[in-house]
Amino acid sequence: MNARPHDLKAMGEAASPAILLSGLTKHYGSHRALGGVDLEVRRGEKVVICGPSGSGKSTLIRCINALERHDGGRIVVNGIELTADEGTVQDIRQEVGMVFQHFNLFPHLTALENCMLAPQLNRGLTKPQAEKLAMLYLERVHLADHVRKYPSRLSGGQQQRVAIARALCMEPRILLFDEPTSALDPEMVNEVLGVMEELAASGVTMLCVTHEMGFARRVADRCVFMDHGEIVESGDAATFFEAPRSERLRGFLAQILR
Amino acid sequence: MNRLPIDPALAWESLPALLDGLKVTMIITAIPLVLGLALAFPICFARMSERRLPALLAEIFVVFFRGAPLLILLYLVYYGLGQIAALREGPFWILFGSPFGCAIVALALNHAAYMTEVLRGSLMAVPGGIVEASEALGISRRNIFIWVRMPLAIRYGLKAYQNEVISFIKGTAIVSVVTITDLTAVANTIFEQTYDPFTPILCAAAFYWAFVNLIRVGFTLWGRWLNRHNAEIVEVTVAAPVRGTALRRLAGLVKVTP
Amino acid sequence: MTNLSPADLAGYLRQLGEGALITLELFLASFAFAFVFGVLIGVVTLSRNRLVQAAWRVYASIFMGVPTLLVIFLVFYGGSAMLMTVLGELGSEIDISPFGAGVTALAVVYAAYIAELVRGAIENLPKGQFEGARALAIPPIIMWGKVILPQVMRLALPGLVNVWSFMLKETPLVSLAGLQDLVAASKIAAGATKEPFIFFIATALVFIAFSAATLKLATILEIRLDRGLRREPNARTARADA
Repeated sequence: MNARPHDLKAMGEAASPAILLSGLTKHYGSHRALGGVDLEVRRGEKVVICGPSGSGKSTLIRCINALERHDGGRIVVNGIELTADEGTVQDIRQEVGMVFQHFNLFPHLTALENCMLAPQLNRGLTKPQAEKLAMLYLERVHLADHVRKYPSRLSGGQQQRVAIARALCMEPRILLFDEPTSALDPEMVNEVLGVMEELAASGVTMLCVTHEMGFARRVADRCVFMDHGEIVESGDAATFFEAPRSERLRGFLAQILR
Repeated sequence: MNRLPIDPALAWESLPALLDGLKVTMIITAIPLVLGLALAFPICFARMSERRLPALLAEIFVVFFRGAPLLILLYLVYYGLGQIAALREGPFWILFGSPFGCAIVALALNHAAYMTEVLRGSLMAVPGGIVEASEALGISRRNIFIWVRMPLAIRYGLKAYQNEVISFIKGTAIVSVVTITDLTAVANTIFEQTYDPFTPILCAAAFYWAFVNLIRVGFTLWGRWLNRHNAEIVEVTVAAPVRGTALRRLAGLVKVTP
Repeated sequence: MTNLSPADLAGYLRQLGEGALITLELFLASFAFAFVFGVLIGVVTLSRNRLVQAAWRVYASIFMGVPTLLVIFLVFYGGSAMLMTVLGELGSEIDISPFGAGVTALAVVYAAYIAELVRGAIENLPKGQFEGARALAIPPIIMWGKVILPQVMRLALPGLVNVWSFMLKETPLVSLAGLQDLVAASKIAAGATKEPFIFFIATALVFIAFSAATLKLATILEIRLDRGLRREPNARTARADA
């Protein structure tokens, strides 16, 4: 899987940002989902993307790990350019972890097994090694007491934390979050956001689609507002919320903060 | 004759012959079940392939071998393929050189066609999000199939598989027309010798019933074991078969919420 | 290899046509009886009466757990004796034909499947349907005929389509009791002409084509019923009753 020479990887790391998107376009039939997006995420940076539904924010982050294939522009992740070549896709996916709105846990595996599967299959860890790794990250998301349970036995908040731990077990340097709290009952949102904040403090690069504005203010180095497949406005959290420049962002904030 | 339809003495006398017939029925069930399932996988992959030609050929196979009555398929193989000298004496003599081989071929092709559809339905029932989550973890396609899609597909498709197997067992009763001495053939022979229209047929029916219900119980236990991750579902699957109603081949996939 | 003269071919085609007609008659008669009895059994076994429930379970379990071929043989060989038991001396006068045995056996077996579908569909009806009809003091006969059953049929339609096509594929079994149906005719033609592939494949294709055509019809019917659900409930009821 990892055919890339090691020194090239090191070179790329030194020179490039964590994520570089330039002129990114994506169409579904005649519908333009992304119309030339430029975005650069530095190493360790936390970026929050928000915008109305259908604005292309989910499509954007799903293009980064090739769950959707972009049809124009460039995607470079940790110095690896995403091409049609299946090898680059796999390389990028080793660098990038993803957390989904609907958790997408493996229902037939326990929390522990959910976390062990990818390290065992991709990194060739033995079962005890994978178990040790999984336990480490499940403890980090405060689920040490629930490791033997199946997803159906866990609450939504617990399931999402397992999903975060599962992504962490691949020890990615970049984490993508696709509306991680919007499928949760209100009382469970904070336990997930809490874990995400702890993660943010650990130095990992985060790109997060969310409407949790409190989280954005506390954690984000930068907020990006998308509408109709374009980035309309971006800036640090304070100016983003206090002094939005564009009419569209003002309208959007008025709606979600109401 | 008296009013009791079963002659106990005849039933007792016929027991060894009927048991021999049951043994043949079990063999003529088991071999095509294995062969048909093995065939169904490549055909299902072809059917789901994005390439036109394999998909079309697989679909033609399914339409023909599922749509044609089993009796015709048996005639086609026995009176058609089985009479071609090149096939009888060539390397495939083991398949076409005897009525037994011909019956196995016809039954296996029929089962393969049904199982292609069962497999396809089960694989398509696996939620896309779970496959995406596996892709995002960088798990290879082959490993996703082995460790995620197939284990889940088995759970979703188990009911349909059970119906097909049970229907298939009952379908094997026709092999008696190509001189195979299965349970039905034995019952027929005894009828022809004794002109007792009830005893042999009712006894054979009892054996079929027991065989079918043994398989049904086996599937129920298997399903309970597979769904141990979801206790609520277990109660449902237990409740359903007790009504003893599984529509063979008729029921669509029973959706089991993961 | 082909040694078929046009005259021979025409003769076999005529036999096949006659056989096909018999197969069609057998199938339609069996399905009609299975449907009527299936619906009746499905409704009657909703009763909570223990005896009714037990009888239903035994019936369903037996006929869903035994090969149809055996049921056909049982009726064909044992039918006269059974009739004699029921009707006395009158019964012994009646000779069981393969056709009659086939229709009886297929109807008895498939009524169980149809009853099961109907039971499932009734269970899936919103409880409000019964309560609503009761609140309006609609007599039970009308409630069942105009309110419940049309909706049940709509819910059971996909399952009925399956029974339909599966039953079609089991009709050739009756040829093993001596019925001169399409499959029997094609076996004779195949044997006489030494052209098994032509006749058996053609026969298979007839079954497949009939099944596909009726499936198409069912899809159209389904769309119609769904449209009726939204726009013209009366017309829908009338159609489903017919």
